[in-house]
Amino acid sequence: MKLDPRFLTHVTKGEHYLIAMGDVKFKGIVKNNNTAAFIIECLKKDVTEEEIVEKLMKEYSEADPETVRRDVGNVIEKLRGIGAIVE
Amino acid sequence: MTRRYRIADKVVEVTSMHEKVHDYCADYVTEDPADYSVVTTQADVEYERAKNRSETEFEGGQLVEYPDDYLEELAVYRKISRKMLEYDVLLFHGSVIAVDGEGYLFTAKSGTGKSTHTRLWREYFGERAAMVNDDKPLLGIQDDHVIAYGTPYNGKHRLGENISAPLKAICILTRDKENHVERITKGQAYAVLLQQAYRPGDEAGMRMTLMLLDALTERVKLYRLGCNMDLEAAKVAYEGMQ
Repeated sequence: MKLDPRFLTHVTKGEHYLIAMGDVKFKGIVKNNNTAAFIIECLKKDVTEEEIVEKLMKEYSEADPETVRRDVGNVIEKLRGIGAIVE
Repeated sequence: MTRRYRIADKVVEVTSMHEKVHDYCADYVTEDPADYSVVTTQADVEYERAKNRSETEFEGGQLVEYPDDYLEELAVYRKISRKMLEYDVLLFHGSVIAVDGEGYLFTAKSGTGKSTHTRLWREYFGERAAMVNDDKPLLGIQDDHVIAYGTPYNGKHRLGENISAPLKAICILTRDKENHVERITKGQAYAVLLQQAYRPGDEAGMRMTLMLLDALTERVKLYRLGCNMDLEAAKVAYEGMQ
């Protein structure tokens, strides 16, 4: 799966945003925390959910794998909900 | 039909199918040479129709089918707005009123009460107030300040004039029982502002919008207003933004 290229990421004053371009049905803006921003960065290339979990575990080695897996699942589900994921 | 208009200090040559498009822009006619031109075709009208349908469906509202000439107006303004980005001019959704020559922009989702609030300002300030644009002003982002321009596209009540004013503040409007206004940070305002800025369908355009929005938030003061519909709301908002 992959981030729909009609969604752009933007960082301003240290805050991460995900923005849909004009042609997308979803009109909102998503303000992301660091974990969500990291997951979205991973999704700029074709990637599986498990690969994202591995990358996050490398980044935050002290994190609990089950929590990370759940977080990744939640973020991806939300992204799917707004049509930001291409399978 | 082709005619030229001076909008946001740029001369736009508009070629359209329906004459109503030009009636709409009559106050902005110029004979000066064009900075750029836009041409609309039936395909643009169909694009607007499809967009209206899909947005209504997504938001779950009642579908209103618009006539072709109205859809063409939307298409023309969409093209103008896209082109304006290249001149550091950003289309923004909101109601702009000038008091003593300084502009104040109120923004919020449709139906929140922007127009109602600027109507209170006109009542409160009388001749000191001038309506720049009630719905879709253009904002010229200059090196150290921002200019709000009136445009032909000024909302369903056609409120606004062919004038401009330096923009002093942007105010996110919310409804409340009591009137109060507070300064907010760029971080607090950004998501709302981005939602109310013109968002083109192409990546290059969207990147320009984001850059202009960043510059905009550096150059004007940002506020959040909680207001009711009493005349006092205008006084509280104005005094809180001085």
